[in-house]
Amino acid sequence: MEPPVLQTVDLTKVYQVSAGAFKGKLPLQAVGGVSLAVPRGSVLGLVGESGCGKTTVAKMVLGLEEPSGGDILLSGQSLKKLSSKEIAGRVQPVFQDPYSSLNPRKSIGSIISLPLRALGLGRRAEQEEKVQEIMEVVGLPPRLRHNYPNQLSGGQRQRVAVARALIMRPELVLCDEPTSALDVSVQAQILNLLMDLRQELNLTYVLISHDLAVVEHMATRVAVMYLGRIVEEAETEALFRNPRHPYTQALLSSVLTPEPGLSLPETHLGVAYPNPIDPPSGCTFHPRCPKADDRCSRERPRPALADGSLVECHHPAPG
Amino acid sequence: MSPLLEVRGLNVDLPLAAGVLHAVREVSFSLEKGETLSLVGESGCGKSMTALAMMDLLPPGAVRRAERLTFEDRDLAKAAESKMAALRGARMAMIFQEPMTSLDPCYTIGNQLEEALLVHRRVSRREARNRAVFLLEKVGITAASSRLKQYPHQLSGGLRQRVMIAMGLMCGPAMIIADEPTTALDVTIQAQILALLASVQKEFEMGMILITHDLGVVARVADRLAVMYCGMVVETGTVKEVFERPLHPYTRGLMDCIPVPGKSLKGRKLGSIPGMVPTPIGELTGCPFRNRCSRARGECAGSGIGLKELSPGRAYRCLLSPQDCLAGRV
Repeated sequence: MEPPVLQTVDLTKVYQVSAGAFKGKLPLQAVGGVSLAVPRGSVLGLVGESGCGKTTVAKMVLGLEEPSGGDILLSGQSLKKLSSKEIAGRVQPVFQDPYSSLNPRKSIGSIISLPLRALGLGRRAEQEEKVQEIMEVVGLPPRLRHNYPNQLSGGQRQRVAVARALIMRPELVLCDEPTSALDVSVQAQILNLLMDLRQELNLTYVLISHDLAVVEHMATRVAVMYLGRIVEEAETEALFRNPRHPYTQALLSSVLTPEPGLSLPETHLGVAYPNPIDPPSGCTFHPRCPKADDRCSRERPRPALADGSLVECHHPAPG
Repeated sequence: MSPLLEVRGLNVDLPLAAGVLHAVREVSFSLEKGETLSLVGESGCGKSMTALAMMDLLPPGAVRRAERLTFEDRDLAKAAESKMAALRGARMAMIFQEPMTSLDPCYTIGNQLEEALLVHRRVSRREARNRAVFLLEKVGITAASSRLKQYPHQLSGGLRQRVMIAMGLMCGPAMIIADEPTTALDVTIQAQILALLASVQKEFEMGMILITHDLGVVARVADRLAVMYCGMVVETGTVKEVFERPLHPYTRGLMDCIPVPGKSLKGRKLGSIPGMVPTPIGELTGCPFRNRCSRARGECAGSGIGLKELSPGRAYRCLLSPQDCLAGRV
């Protein structure tokens, strides 16, 4: 059997953060034991509130941060054994804000061809040809090659970011909030583009987003993160039809669909997202959970696997 | 009785080196006490400029013209700056998108809250403090009196936005303008903040102008909406009317763009509006949407496409008849 394009095994990241002047450092566990598997051609949606560790996972997969523990495997090969250039050839990112992720002083052609030049792939003429080719694939007119980012609209810039990611023909594309900075009409264009490319080029995506409607539309499988842990993971359809973790339920109910007549949802979540330096005891979600009891504050729930889905809760809804 | 706020024929022009940028063109609407009107549109459509024009907080050099601009029977079109300064914060308040940049990092929450009242009313600092604690509790902040000593950076995004709302309410304004109040927040916090805004609005009987690009927010919170495109209002009506029977091709296009869990088919293509918004610099003739509209005809380039009023408060700006609009897909 082919190994998954991306697999993380008990991935952990601990940062040492300053506790204030002269007070030394405190450990902050940004990611605490994340195990994921993303098979070829699938789209994994990673959702959660800000500060839950989604982006830290992405950074580690891109090789930009060193994991504190656990391992990342790309098609069965450990990231530790790969050089940063080898990683860059196989995993490429698309970031949130195309206004700040493109160098304003470089022409579009130069931005898109940078991965090729950095890895020294092909001659100048071949690189030019590849740039033309990929611009066509993502729907950018080739004449824009000599323009600069400030002359492009938001949607066009994000297409440039997609082109730059795809020119290496990576195995895995990491989309970190790819449409959050875009207007809705442009968001739809970019989402359609990503879906088309996935079929044409048999791409594998990890899609990080806080917009559950986008995740539901794009992802084949969804992992919900809370305070550095995956609290629920399932096939998209199953997760949206029957969310089992109380946190997933609250997240789903807080999506505001454009349906007049429905009032605002009551999420019962309370105000505070916990402080990650001083996480709650037991199940880290218990202070905000409507189902919490004594056991939840004492004992950390273990991940329960059933039918290819995972939930980490003492009181999950029946599957 | 005249409405709380009445705007007729509002224009905002920004003279730039490249020409005059018409940010707002002939916008008219009114707002009643206790009502929520939402201005919806994509970035650059003029919704924020419209709000800033109400407050007379436009960027330097901007030119505001209005046939009529009245608030609580005061004529704002000709009001002097001193008169506006007395109104701002006292009778009309504004809540901005990014609470981190709109709170002053150098002053405590308490200082900033109290200032709003001390500037506009003859009250003692103790009275101002009591009001601040009262409102912080009202917006759901626990241990309010100890929070007064904190600085903005010590609060989370959701808490900061609650502080912003409390600050807006300090003087008991008649109208509150919320410019993308939840865009910078997590979805879970968004619902809470919107519910809070709606409840304080009801309690204090304020009129609210809610500026957003999120049709989900509009559907759940607003009473009426005005869809803006290129500085113009292209469609207006009650939320129910517009969501159930969107008439303008742009409104219809926008609604097709949003994935809705359980409704839009997974993997199926989302509707999208091809092309880009035309430049707002220079004169516009004809329908500004025609180069992106699948139903554009020759006449759409002509001038004089006005808002067609179907019933009081329900209007749209398109040459097609309502039946034709509803019949065809965009």
